[in-house]
Amino acid sequence: MIAGSFFSRYIVSTDHKTVGKQYLWAGLVFLALGGFLAMLLRWQLAFPGARVPLVGGLLFPESGGALSPDVYAKVFTTHGLVMIFFAITPVLIGAFGNFVVPLQIGARDMAFPRLNAASFWILVASQLLALASFLAPLGTASAGWTSYPPLSTNVGTPGWGQSVMVLALLVNGFSTVLGGVNLITTVIRLRAPGMGWLRLPATTWGMFLTSILNVTFVPVLGSAALLLLLDRHLGTQFFIAGASARAGGGDPIAYQHLFWIFGHPEVYILILPAWGVVTDIVSFFSRKPAFAYPLTVGAMIAVTALSGLVYGHHMFVAGLGPMLGQAFMALTLVISIPSAVIALNWLQTIWRGSVRLDSPMLYALGVIIVFGMGGLTGVLLGDLSLDVYLHDTMFVVGHFHLIMASATFLASFAAIHFWFPKLFARRLDENLARAHFSSSLVLLILVFGGQMLAGYSGQPRRLFDPYQYEFLKPLLPLNRWTSYAAFALATAQLLFVWNVVRAFWRGARETDPNPWRVGTLEWTCAPTPVPVENFAEVPQVQRGPHAFDAALQASLGRDFLGQAELVSEAKPQSVGVK
Amino acid sequence: MNALGVGLPPDASIDAGRLDVVLHDALFAVSAIFLGCLAVLLVALVRHGRRHTAAAESGATAGKMLRSAGVALGLLGIVDGALFVNALRHPTGALADFAEADKLPGVVRIELNAHQWAWDARYAGADGVFGTADDVTSLNRIVVPEGAPVLVELAATDVIHSFFVPALRLKRDAVPGRIGTVSFTATTTGTFEIACAQLCGVNHYKMRGELEVVSPSEYATWLARGSDLATRGYDPDDKSAHWAWPWMAAR
Ligand code: HEM
Ligand SMILES: [Cu+2]
Ligand SMILES: [Cu+2]
Repeated sequence: MIAGSFFSRYIVSTDHKTVGKQYLWAGLVFLALGGFLAMLLRWQLAFPGARVPLVGGLLFPESGGALSPDVYAKVFTTHGLVMIFFAITPVLIGAFGNFVVPLQIGARDMAFPRLNAASFWILVASQLLALASFLAPLGTASAGWTSYPPLSTNVGTPGWGQSVMVLALLVNGFSTVLGGVNLITTVIRLRAPGMGWLRLPATTWGMFLTSILNVTFVPVLGSAALLLLLDRHLGTQFFIAGASARAGGGDPIAYQHLFWIFGHPEVYILILPAWGVVTDIVSFFSRKPAFAYPLTVGAMIAVTALSGLVYGHHMFVAGLGPMLGQAFMALTLVISIPSAVIALNWLQTIWRGSVRLDSPMLYALGVIIVFGMGGLTGVLLGDLSLDVYLHDTMFVVGHFHLIMASATFLASFAAIHFWFPKLFARRLDENLARAHFSSSLVLLILVFGGQMLAGYSGQPRRLFDPYQYEFLKPLLPLNRWTSYAAFALATAQLLFVWNVVRAFWRGARETDPNPWRVGTLEWTCAPTPVPVENFAEVPQVQRGPHAFDAALQASLGRDFLGQAELVSEAKPQSVGVK
Repeated sequence: MNALGVGLPPDASIDAGRLDVVLHDALFAVSAIFLGCLAVLLVALVRHGRRHTAAAESGATAGKMLRSAGVALGLLGIVDGALFVNALRHPTGALADFAEADKLPGVVRIELNAHQWAWDARYAGADGVFGTADDVTSLNRIVVPEGAPVLVELAATDVIHSFFVPALRLKRDAVPGRIGTVSFTATTTGTFEIACAQLCGVNHYKMRGELEVVSPSEYATWLARGSDLATRGYDPDDKSAHWAWPWMAAR
């Protein structure tokens, strides 16, 4: 009976909140796996060829406990894939898109609840396929997360490990696209009365635009994956050329176009939800309306529109013609401007606010800092002539980790800390959160700053042993310090793990439905814990998401209005404030 | 060079030094923007904390939106514009103006074939035609004269590789089925490393080569001697040695 109810409440439930939590746990488990793989990489770069402590003997007995060149390639390939497709996307988009969006727009569930649950279980299937690839006799995928052919075909990577991983990506794509269609439909069709487009919270905007990108571009990756599988198993030669091609063969560069038409939007897919979350949190914790909100939304739309037009900057040295190279350079540099608008609006929201440094705000400030560093160094890479030197070096790796790893990572934690009380009716400890935040921020900057310095000094990426090159030998100390910072970063995550365990084990119950004192519907119209179907009655939305005004303090004893609150009926306690 | 080993590789071409200037200017500009914004943020956090009453603002007026857009355009527009113009003015257009460079006097042409995990270089030899008995070939080593424009045609046999010479700040993928081109002019004699910058299999990290920049007279001697040796050792039946392709300008 109890087992039965556990099963129906947590496993087969179609409630968007339960599905959101499922995504969260599934993503966090893979985040830990991806992090572990990153530590192996950093070990090898710091102590090339040395036995990996603790786990080496168990994992790599045939190479005496050390990584071999082949294993190193498998580790960076799967680290990248796991992080992007099986960890960050499920946490940021799967968990918070699901949990937050219906609540923020005043809907009772997603538009297609059963499809929603199905998307999650398809994701799990893809995660299991990815894990299964490790069992293949020749091991898992090893052609880089980009899987460029001909290396990723049988010419360079025989064995079914690579195929199963590509299949896992294909299945993962189905999950993402179905989830995206669902979210888009939900936002278009299920907004509560009065919830106009500019009254949508920024988080919802971010999730909505990201879903549009997912639905548009993930199928392109799917097509590339499918053609690659055909090349591997049915003897086609879409992407095979050179000595292994028969009768002319195909074109490896065609794959790169398909991959990056998806691959560049992918970084915006990961960052748009982060931008949304940060825009909301910065306003909430500065107790001021989001500065120039329509412009922020417009800039997010502009980035979404431009994101499919800049992908060529990944191929500057692959042989684009001069005209194409210059066109992609111009578009790439242009996209920096709406991104800067968004960041400047955050600063001006904080400016003259009444800033509360609660944990969600700390993480959001962290996002602003690492996004600033990552975004501005991206401008250098957008320049064709500088990219000719920096392309495929650790500079690129440091740059994209500041955005894809640091900004999305910190934004995930901002979201977890912000919505935790609503999700689980429990409170996280603020001191532990502060310690986790500050150590993570500093260490992220050291790790990825260190990688950028290595790249600036010329170190190519994906090298099992960089010190084969004379000119890279002096970089060993730098790489060691970078690795020490990475190990410390991994250790610091225990603070978060402990915080979550502690919250469930003996943390305070959160009974206040609106502990942060903000006006969006999930806090002002839904009780904690949120029941199935969310709202007793569907809210009638009156205003935008960031209705802060210190002048209200005199009459109401608080500085904000709920999104669905009627001013005539507003009382100090009328929006769930205790 | 410093305790951590951080620093640009030596620069050995007319483009490298110029590119370093642009790199440093751009780094300086974006760092200044970053630090400026960080300072504003810190001031706001210190001065406008919990005790400060939030200013009454409607959040979105046309004036504010124009201001934000204007500042963004001002800050990044300048950096972006400068970088764009710089890239267009790239003096030799290492990746772009190959046909132009081919007309320069004294140009040195090299065919470079990448494969797992080595670089095969070929010079046309005394007769100036690729694929003949007097071609000079060389493994994992390219010799070029100081001060002369060099054109490299790049191909790959098996998977994608990437020809990266840090001291030239130059990189170009070698793609199976295609012939890619790069040009450079070395200005410093000495030996510089060639790296493979594109993942090309397990020994990617070992695909190391050397670029030797020598004086024009040493180069002439080296080439003549190589050509001579090649002619004498030529074996018409050795099919695997016949990998040359017709030089692009001749096609
Ligand atoms: C948080 C700690 C992390 C550390 C210390 C770390 C470290 C590294 C290292 C050392 C590499 C390999 C560099 C090389 O040899 O080429 C790498 C590659 C990569 N990482 Fe991370 N990483 C972290 C998190 C993440 C996250 C969160 C993501 C994604 C959202 C991510 C995405 C990638 C990708 C896509 C690659 C490229 C893989 C390839 O070259 O095919 N990483 N990372
Ligand atoms: Cu190679
Ligand atoms: Cu390589």
